[in-house]
Amino acid sequence: MTSYVARRGMHAMLILLGVSLVTFLLMHLTGDPVTLFMPLDASPEDIAVMRSAMGFDRPIMVQYLHFVGDALRGDFGQSLRHRQPALSLVVGRLPATMQLTVLALLLAVVAAVPLGVVSAARRGSGVSFAASLLGLLGQSMPVFWLGIVLILLFSVNLRWLPASGRGSIVHLIMPAVTIGTYSMAMLMRLMRATMMDVLSQDYIRTARAKGISERGVIFKHAMRNAAIPVITVMGLQLGTLLGGAVITETVFAWPGLGRLLIQGFHNRDMAVVQAAVFVMALMIVVANLLADLTYVLCDPRVRYG
Amino acid sequence: MNRLRSLLGPASDRLRAKRKFVDADALWSSSRRTRVRIWGDWGAMVGMFLVAVVVFAALFAPLVAPHDPYEQVLSRSLRPPWWAGGTADHPLGTDHLGRDVLSRVIFGSRISLMVGVAAVLISGSAGTILGLLAGSLGGPIESIIMRLADVQLAFPFILLATAVMFVLGSGLANVIIVLGITGWVVYGRVVRAEAMQLREKNFVEAAVAVGCTPGRIIVRHILPNIVSSITVIATLEVARVIIAEAALTFLGLGVDPRIPTWGSMLADGRQYLAGHPWIATFPGLAIMITVLGINLLGDWLRDTLDPRMINGQ
Amino acid sequence: MIVILIVAACGPAPSESSPASAELGSEGEIVIAQGVDATTLDPNMHAETPTSNVNVQIYDSLLMRDAEGELQLSLAESYENIDDHTWEFRLRRGVTFHNGERFDAKSVKFTLDRILDPDNQSPQYSHISAISEVEIVDDYTIRMHTRDPFPTLPSQMVARQMVPAGYTGEHGGEHLARNPIGTGPYRFVSWTPDEEIRLRANEEYWRGMPTIRDVVFRVVPETSTRIAELQTGSVDIIVNVPPHQAETLEAGEGTAISRAPSSRAIFVGMVTTEPGPLTDRRVRQALNYGVDVDSIIENVLMGNGVPLAGQPVVDMHHGFSGSLDPYPHDPSRARELLADAGHPGGFSIAMDSPSGRYLMDRETAQAVAGQLEAIDVEVALNVQEWGVYVDKIMSRQLTELFLIGWGNATFDADATMYPWFRSGQQFCYFEDDALDAALDLARETMDMDVRQDRYIEIMQLLHEEAPWIFLHQQMDIYGISDRIEWNARPDELIHAYEARLRADD
Repeated sequence: MTSYVARRGMHAMLILLGVSLVTFLLMHLTGDPVTLFMPLDASPEDIAVMRSAMGFDRPIMVQYLHFVGDALRGDFGQSLRHRQPALSLVVGRLPATMQLTVLALLLAVVAAVPLGVVSAARRGSGVSFAASLLGLLGQSMPVFWLGIVLILLFSVNLRWLPASGRGSIVHLIMPAVTIGTYSMAMLMRLMRATMMDVLSQDYIRTARAKGISERGVIFKHAMRNAAIPVITVMGLQLGTLLGGAVITETVFAWPGLGRLLIQGFHNRDMAVVQAAVFVMALMIVVANLLADLTYVLCDPRVRYG
Repeated sequence: MNRLRSLLGPASDRLRAKRKFVDADALWSSSRRTRVRIWGDWGAMVGMFLVAVVVFAALFAPLVAPHDPYEQVLSRSLRPPWWAGGTADHPLGTDHLGRDVLSRVIFGSRISLMVGVAAVLISGSAGTILGLLAGSLGGPIESIIMRLADVQLAFPFILLATAVMFVLGSGLANVIIVLGITGWVVYGRVVRAEAMQLREKNFVEAAVAVGCTPGRIIVRHILPNIVSSITVIATLEVARVIIAEAALTFLGLGVDPRIPTWGSMLADGRQYLAGHPWIATFPGLAIMITVLGINLLGDWLRDTLDPRMINGQ
Repeated sequence: MIVILIVAACGPAPSESSPASAELGSEGEIVIAQGVDATTLDPNMHAETPTSNVNVQIYDSLLMRDAEGELQLSLAESYENIDDHTWEFRLRRGVTFHNGERFDAKSVKFTLDRILDPDNQSPQYSHISAISEVEIVDDYTIRMHTRDPFPTLPSQMVARQMVPAGYTGEHGGEHLARNPIGTGPYRFVSWTPDEEIRLRANEEYWRGMPTIRDVVFRVVPETSTRIAELQTGSVDIIVNVPPHQAETLEAGEGTAISRAPSSRAIFVGMVTTEPGPLTDRRVRQALNYGVDVDSIIENVLMGNGVPLAGQPVVDMHHGFSGSLDPYPHDPSRARELLADAGHPGGFSIAMDSPSGRYLMDRETAQAVAGQLEAIDVEVALNVQEWGVYVDKIMSRQLTELFLIGWGNATFDADATMYPWFRSGQQFCYFEDDALDAALDLARETMDMDVRQDRYIEIMQLLHEEAPWIFLHQQMDIYGISDRIEWNARPDELIHAYEARLRADD
């Protein structure tokens, strides 16, 4: 177990290093932070003066090595636009991002698991049909469209919910539903498929043959086994939620990490993009690690060598 | 199921192995299974029908569409659909530049289907090749490919898409490339896991024993056995890609706005949702119908092609 | 009408305990929603309108513009042009910063010097880099020496907001950016990034106490959401209302519209410095005849625009020629001109446009492309995100046609004409020796009337040469709740000091 965690830790480090290198190269391929920073009518001489003051006139590899060296000490550099340490900007957005992501995932799971189980256990029933339809619809609506329709319906027409912003729990409802819908649909279909698969396995038949009630079969035997892929996909979905959050955050004016990242990219604010991508990658890597470790809790027979 | 389980990597492989030790039993209700088929067939029929409608629209767009989808008549902008006070001339109304919404939705099916299919072809081939290499050869090549997949999974899609669009410039071909590049990981993981399992199977070991080259083994023995999984993922991915094109347009990374794609119609029309909802509603419905159809077909394919779903062994 | 201030109810409540606030007469709260957050509250370290909108509440400059765009005194009591290379400003006495620090010549020198020091990386550097030295004459007199004659220096002093020398020197610019201290009508209270900025009235403001006590800036990026927030009464002023929504808000209950023509000219630039059809003046005129600007204004902008009068500047700019008219829409004349120029069957050309930067920019670009196709000019349109677009502008990689807007906040023709039509400048895609000489002469002419005459001659020349497809002057559209009174300004800024709450609520 310990060596497994150590090995996964090494992998995680490699992944993070890879992510930082890709980010760095992409940012250098995609434009000049200095010209974007200056007004349109700045003269070439003024731009050159500013470029050397910012250190962007050094060779790329030198800049990258400097960056990695600083990052190892926890210093991701200053944001050009915000004039603050990039990492503290990113960390400042974490609470909002976590609230949204966690609630969305929670909503997705709370809706998806029972629906998936019921529709697998009662295949062909009305519930199953409705759940399938819901799952398919949830996966066929673009996020921004769903968000705007929700605002028009629940804020402008019914006046039940605030249209945007952050404050109390009611502000969270629409963004969380918007961003969670796709994951909900995906998890629901997964849960249904996995349950159907598990229910057709031999040991379930044995359990049934032993006279265990259908309820017992489902909750004691099938659920536990079906949980493993669902947990893994939840880990992977975190990436989707964080990535998809950019659009939801934009529609609902939610002050999260995704918007910081995209604004940083638009302004070619190197330090902010690096720090934001790093933190997102770290969260995804950690979530996947946790998901894998959860197997042990779900199924004591799974051992890691 | 293959898709999902293999996505999950090593733990689920163990899961699968574990299931074999329980005895067989025929108690599994046959009536239940029949109902599954009916639902499956029913869903498949609906799916088939929806996809057929969209493909028909795409193939015969110039014959079906009442107007040129590019034609702007500024003085006729923002006309409502005919049942909401508009004219039969523009059955679904006109957009902010006076273009016929129905014609654009019909022509949009061409672009959206093309983007979906082409992007999936790219990501499917790339993912399959990399997955096969990783799963069949193992060793350092496998490590490199799988770490690459991990890096990409941990990297925000939006940033990757923005950056690639920046380097390549905007345009339809580049949208396809972006969606193609960003989608390979799913195939890569699934194919690798399947290939790893097949490597242990008797017929592959036999092929190795009689001295087949690795290339021949991959092409003749492993590839045919994973085609079904790839097909299933590809169907589901077409749906995802069609939606992702809309997301790219929302972020201002899409194609020439005059080209009728459902994504750009939806992204352009979202500003008009409050007062002129038809501009965004119809392309949105078109996306939903298509994705629904393709997903239904994909589900059916999965149930049909995955033998475990039917005979439960 | 009952307005439910959801933001006020749910946001972090500021302390309500200050007894003074009840007596001083400032009362109530307005919420202003913009698409993006301020990037810094250090007023010398940015060049963006949304950030300026927050900073103008906190800081003052030497000069300001009134609601009509006219230059007025602010922290300066008077100013004069001593010789071609020197400007002198006398400063207002008795003004203090929010922390009690005195405003004097030291503050001015400190502020300008920190912009002029390249190590500080100020994006405002290029606006005043012509200043060679800032000299303190006495506590309330300051002189600015320039390398070349700089007739538009006063205009540049409008957006150079004064920071306290002692406070900033002691704590540094990074601290100021988060804890701003100015002389303006509002004091800083709190800033939650990408969410909201809260300000509270400065009861000792030198122009008199503000009528509204609390000002909140909220960040709402998506246009549809901003409109929903206004309709539900959660915010009072929203920026960048799309034209087709303006009518809805105007007619809607509890909402209204305020609009003002901005100094921004929207046009399609033409690259005439590379070989191609655009090097021929007849072709450039033909494109101007081919585009129906009135129809674009009426149907795409829903009336929210004014056609450019066949010249690059608008009537609020010094140097505007009142005797020129827009090119009329005349497709047959356009086809004749194209045929004369050797393109009887038209030609194909590429056009770039940004997306979401200007009011209805991508729609306008599509309409222009559609109209040009009617005179057989096939346009390949390429719409890009602004970051990408700026990069193409700066590296001069724009296609032969490109849609762009040019805001000229100095209200003087020079700030449009020099960068766009003086050979060798960043944006110059039309080169002409006589024009270069005329522009150099006008730029250094300190007598405003003589300058005016010189620019009018230049405008005549540019009208005939048609180096742009002249489109329109942008109209800025704001949505406002009818619980407040406020009017849009031509400089794209929102001064909360000018807003009033309606009494009868």
